[in-house]
Amino acid sequence: MKPNLTVVHEAPARPAIEVAGLNHTYAGREGDVPALSDISLTVSAGRFVVLVGPSGCGKTSLLMMMAGLRHQTSGKLDVQGQPMAAPDPDRVGVVFQEASLFPWLSALDNIAFPLALRGTPKAEQHARSTEMLNLVGLTGFGARYPHELSGGMKQRVSIARGLVQDPPVLLMDEPFAALDEQTRMTMGHELLRIWSQTSKTVVFVTHSLTEAVYLADEVLVMSARPGRIIDRITVNLPRPRTYEMMGTETFAKLRDRIWQQIRKGE
Amino acid sequence: MKRPAPSTVRWLILAALLVFWELFPRTGIIPELFLPALSKVVVVLARDWHEYASELAVTLYEVFFAMLIACGCGILAGALVGGIALLRNLLLPVFSSLYAVPIVILYPIFTAWFGIGSQSKIIFAGVYGFFPVMLSTAAGIRTIDEQLLLAARSMGATVPQQIMRVIIPASIPTVLTGLRLGGALTIIGVVVSEMLTSSAGIGYLVTRYRTILDSPHVFGAIVMILLLSIMFDVLARAVERRTAVWQTAGRKQREVEEPIGRAAPAPV
Repeated sequence: MKPNLTVVHEAPARPAIEVAGLNHTYAGREGDVPALSDISLTVSAGRFVVLVGPSGCGKTSLLMMMAGLRHQTSGKLDVQGQPMAAPDPDRVGVVFQEASLFPWLSALDNIAFPLALRGTPKAEQHARSTEMLNLVGLTGFGARYPHELSGGMKQRVSIARGLVQDPPVLLMDEPFAALDEQTRMTMGHELLRIWSQTSKTVVFVTHSLTEAVYLADEVLVMSARPGRIIDRITVNLPRPRTYEMMGTETFAKLRDRIWQQIRKGE
Repeated sequence: MKRPAPSTVRWLILAALLVFWELFPRTGIIPELFLPALSKVVVVLARDWHEYASELAVTLYEVFFAMLIACGCGILAGALVGGIALLRNLLLPVFSSLYAVPIVILYPIFTAWFGIGSQSKIIFAGVYGFFPVMLSTAAGIRTIDEQLLLAARSMGATVPQQIMRVIIPASIPTVLTGLRLGGALTIIGVVVSEMLTSSAGIGYLVTRYRTILDSPHVFGAIVMILLLSIMFDVLARAVERRTAVWQTAGRKQREVEEPIGRAAPAPV
């Protein structure tokens, strides 16, 4: 079991993610549109941080910047102590909203894709991706193609693919948004199990407040555009989390506080 | 009574057509000049198989090189036009409009340029088949799911890797559909041009025997062309199925193979 993370550790020497004074504008039809404004945040290694905020507030943009897939206009963004000039699978794994699996590859080959890109020997690819397949609870499903998998199973494959290169940071962009409520709950629980076995730093974007409280060590609330961080809420529920906690007063209060903050920020 | 399977019905319809083909001319309902009986056509084909075979060889040779032109140039041009926004905006509307032009009007010019031999047929049919190949390749590349490219980039894929491992496999199904259409058009192009001006090929046989009112021989040639196109279509579909299993397989779900004695419930 994971040590109880509500006990506040002294932050280790180097945070996993460090953002300071980050601004982003993009060219719109009527001039520059400010998308992110003066974002500063620190994510300590091994923490599970959830980003919430109204639609269009730039949380996905911020996540894409952490992945090196987009670049901020100004400000600092370091992952593992280095700026993200380009995507770097050694530092960061990404899980997208749509599972974005390659339909012409089997589940196992999808998981092995990042390894294949860098020419890892076949035997090692197979061993690593089988290990990941087992980790996400899909033992025996490796030969299936994406169209033969359910929505939840696809996201499991997608998570396995994000973890296959063993990056210290996993970024997740509303990974369960397309799933039905029940599957979503199960997947959240599964994600926590996987996380506790891998000790990754996770930044998770979601619209669901329940999901945010259930998963997070810490919830960062963003305002409407231009996105700013308007609150930082520590979730001091013990781990491992259980479904029963959702019915507790602490849970409800936390959820309510996030909701109030989001409304204020709109 | 149980309804017969659609495939059974299809074969029955085909069989009925063949029977009518034999009976109608024999009973005089249709004059033999317009439609010679099936048996007569078969006899002609069997007796003169030598002539048909050598003309078919000419047609096949022309079709082969025309397809090479249509597919090669079509895929290349389609990839460029589909992949590069500037070319797409400039050229795609032009190519789309050209596709609607009856290119057969160019054939007389081609004979003037390249003579009435195989060369003019190959070039004409190649141009004819080029358009669907090019247009569907462009469409296939243009409609690739951006998410897949984004995912590949997040995993550190270089541009050549994105092309080889994402763009090409993702566009194969659409490109193959284009090749099937384009291939069918090259066959049409070759046969039509042979019928118009030439001295060899199956299309030429049709024209020659028609002018001397030898219906069985005309129909013999028609049967050859029919068989040729059907064979091509069957072949093309087989290739399409093999290469794009994951696309068609979406409709025929594989049976779930649960390992026996699995304690955990199937993951969601």
